[in-house]
Amino acid sequence: MIPNVAPAPADAAEPTAAAVLPKAPRQSAAKKFSGSKLFASPASIAGVIWLAALVAASLTAPLWLPFKTEDQDFTAVLSGPTAAHWLGTDELGRDLLSRIFASAAGTLGTSMITVIVAVGLGTLLAMLAAACGERVENVISRVTEIMMSLPGTVIILAVIGAVGTNIPLIMGILGVLISAGIYRVMLGQAKSLQSQLYVDAAKVDGMGRAGISVRHVLPGLTNTTVVQAALIFAVGMLIQAGLAFIGFGPPIPQPSWGGMIQGASQHVYDAPWLMVPTGAVLALTVLAANAIGNALGKSPNATASHLPSAAARRQRAKAVATIAAAAPAPKDAAKGKLSVRNLSVGVDSAGAGEGVRLVTDVSFDVEPGTVLGLVGESGCGKTMTALSLLGLLPSGVSVTGGQILWNGKNLAAATDKDMEGIRGRDIALISQEPMRALDPMFTVGYQLTATVRRLRRMGRAEAKAEALSLLEKVGIVDASRILKTYPHQISGGMAQRVAIALALAGRPRLLVADEPTTALDVTVQAEILSLLRSLVKDTGMSVVMVTHDLGVVADLCDQVAVMYAGEVVENGRTDSILDNARHPYTLALLAADPHANRAADMPERLATISGQVPQPKDWPATCRFAARCQFAGSACLVPIPLLPSGTADGVVRCVKADELAVEGLDWVATDVPSHHVLTLSEARAVKTRTVEKDHA
Amino acid sequence: MALFITKRLLMALATVLVVAVLAFLLVHAMPGSPGAVSLGAGASQEAIDEVNQRLGWNEPLVAQFFNWLGAAVQGDLGISLIDGRSVSGDLAGRLPVTASLAAGATILSAVLGIALGVTAAVRGGMVDRIIGGVAGMAVALPAFWIGIIFVYLLAVQSSVFPATGYVPFEASPQDWALSLALPVITLAVGGAAFIARQTRASMLEALQQEHIRTLRATATPTWKILYVHALRYASLPIVAGIALQFIQLFGGSVIAEQLFAMPGLGQAVQNSVSTHDAPSVQGVVVIATVVVVAVNLVLELATKFLDPKLRAS
Repeated sequence: MIPNVAPAPADAAEPTAAAVLPKAPRQSAAKKFSGSKLFASPASIAGVIWLAALVAASLTAPLWLPFKTEDQDFTAVLSGPTAAHWLGTDELGRDLLSRIFASAAGTLGTSMITVIVAVGLGTLLAMLAAACGERVENVISRVTEIMMSLPGTVIILAVIGAVGTNIPLIMGILGVLISAGIYRVMLGQAKSLQSQLYVDAAKVDGMGRAGISVRHVLPGLTNTTVVQAALIFAVGMLIQAGLAFIGFGPPIPQPSWGGMIQGASQHVYDAPWLMVPTGAVLALTVLAANAIGNALGKSPNATASHLPSAAARRQRAKAVATIAAAAPAPKDAAKGKLSVRNLSVGVDSAGAGEGVRLVTDVSFDVEPGTVLGLVGESGCGKTMTALSLLGLLPSGVSVTGGQILWNGKNLAAATDKDMEGIRGRDIALISQEPMRALDPMFTVGYQLTATVRRLRRMGRAEAKAEALSLLEKVGIVDASRILKTYPHQISGGMAQRVAIALALAGRPRLLVADEPTTALDVTVQAEILSLLRSLVKDTGMSVVMVTHDLGVVADLCDQVAVMYAGEVVENGRTDSILDNARHPYTLALLAADPHANRAADMPERLATISGQVPQPKDWPATCRFAARCQFAGSACLVPIPLLPSGTADGVVRCVKADELAVEGLDWVATDVPSHHVLTLSEARAVKTRTVEKDHA
Repeated sequence: MALFITKRLLMALATVLVVAVLAFLLVHAMPGSPGAVSLGAGASQEAIDEVNQRLGWNEPLVAQFFNWLGAAVQGDLGISLIDGRSVSGDLAGRLPVTASLAAGATILSAVLGIALGVTAAVRGGMVDRIIGGVAGMAVALPAFWIGIIFVYLLAVQSSVFPATGYVPFEASPQDWALSLALPVITLAVGGAAFIARQTRASMLEALQQEHIRTLRATATPTWKILYVHALRYASLPIVAGIALQFIQLFGGSVIAEQLFAMPGLGQAVQNSVSTHDAPSVQGVVVIATVVVVAVNLVLELATKFLDPKLRAS
């Protein structure tokens, strides 16, 4: 009955907007204790109120209790609730209400002993292990492992045999046993705090281990400490009641919750009511402590699921139906051509109104057999755009408008079932981190063969042969050996080849490649790129290539769409954009790319773009790049449409594009002059004013 | 892998040894000498001294410990001070009771817990909230209280099951199962809730892995993603959770045995602690530790076997 508290099953939070917003500022290892979390859920508010009331009631018990705990009322033995005895009486006619509240203070107080010992010792051991290096950590970890694999209940009983029913002492020893579990929970966090840069800085400053632990590590552990304290408090009460139940409680006739339930169990035949009040008070108190612990321990930054729950899928299906009703797909679409029209992607809003938009009004075309590059910094909505093509947006994010036209079908309005017919067979995906894209639990051979069998409806033997030939096609020499390996046994470049083979298994017409080379070594990058180039040539499939590498664009792409802050700012043929970029953001990207400059005319300084892509919730209705743009002026503070860029069918979203082209201005490698920096709040303020103040 | 198994075996051995020393020390800290305990109140000091002398109570502690250990490895855990029966023999009769109880409760907890946890993670929405709420309640309710409610509902009110007692398997398999039903269900309520939470969290974590997206991108049917790929990924933490739960349920059997009057190890601990029967306490602590450590070892090896990375190394 001694619970092992070690890997507390995390009460994983629902995926939140914060999880899917690209590159939200990383949470530091330190989770600060926040009182607001405590009052965020109704359950924990109720928990706090119940515990506070219980403590107050039990401390003031002598003042208001209607009876003494030992008062016997033989006129009302084993009675149910009456006017005199609100919660009824036990077999000796003693008032239950009085006994429950008179014993509450002792129960709560001694449970706190367990909490203090367990959490105190556990935290101390964790800080010690984190501060004193691997050897100390190993010793402590071994010892705690042994402690955790002991039958704690039996040992506690043996201790009772030796020391008697000295409740405070027993609860203290219980705390020691539980501290092993606390240590396990705390260790990882303490170590990560210990490895923070500011801790290194403090070390350099000559601060001692103890000082660092107390000043820098302990504060970061506060929240976990409080969470664990609440949970252990509940455990302590349950165990104490359990001990009293089997006869190792405070000496009779002193009341205890467990002892009272034990007494009640003798009368379950003739007075079942007796069970209810004490059991309910004990259960409510445990629930209260658990609710507080769970509310404080809830992680706000859960990662979004890649397979939304059934409930989420139903919701998405409903949303899709409205999109489908909004705009019927035109029937004239050419085979193998992808047309994205005014696509918007947003975070599902929790309440009324619209959630944050991640992609707004994006349009582009991919002709059969051509490669489109989606270019931009991180956080510009490239990946969300790419994933929406396959209907694979993470849970909590969905297409909110626009069309994705493919073979006469609007994929933005397709059901998940329809998409299952298209994924892999028509449109395939290669993702950024090949190691994480493969299932670590299954061999390469199993994953590839199962995919081939499913997508090509082949038999087992035929599929195996096809898997082999796919691996050879992606340039793997010892294909039969690789088939037998697990993903962790092969290199990143090899894994990306396997991932490409998986994508090719269904002979897709369109390949969506989400930064397929970013996570790879430079030499491997070149190999993968040349593999992709030859695959495009050989198979005639078209590709949407998400990248932030202009070298990749120059190398592979026929068409480029430059994205900034969720919208396309420039779109056109690769050669015209690389040679004659029109949008300042494109100019800036080119100027900032070391590969785009020949050695001869390599400038002394590479350009930078000051600041960073604003968070989606901060995107202004005006030009979204204005705040970082060297050329921004007051004309930029109105919503900017996509305008023809002058070359072929190119478009650009900049009111100053022509002006810049005429003057032949380039993005210069200096800091943005301060008078040009329009902070976002200013931009928003200006937007709300009327445009007549524009004196450009 | 062989190195890993050897290491774990040594750890297990060390654990048992540590507990043996601990039990020995605790027993020696108990009030009253063996002679006083076994002869009871009113015995003469000479008689008490004579018994103490015969049991080696006056020898140095270290010698006493090694005498005990030497006998223990041969299966002799001494003689009960209260009824003079062999402790080993008594515990051998009790072990199957507790083992059936703990194993039954663990299996039921695992089956129920995994089913509920997977359902909560997969269905989401209202179903998830209901399962989460029920699991939260189940964790908070003390097993002994739940047990009494079950006795009241299923034994007193409807007499489906016997309220108390234990029937050995050899006597009647059917009655054995019936006599185990209530105690097993009682213990499994909290156990299933714990495993359900663990399973839900592990499944959600599995579904956050990027390879799930690859599986969807290659048109893997949803049922296969959930029950083959995600569950396989989640199986490691789930089995680890079950191993932890077994220790807890083994301890919980003390309460279930008291509540349902079952002659198991838990009852033995409780009785021998109350009567200060030193050899019995020592014996039962060590036996309980051996069982728990052994089962944990097996489950831990199972976890490692489930992980391709460790299996290969």
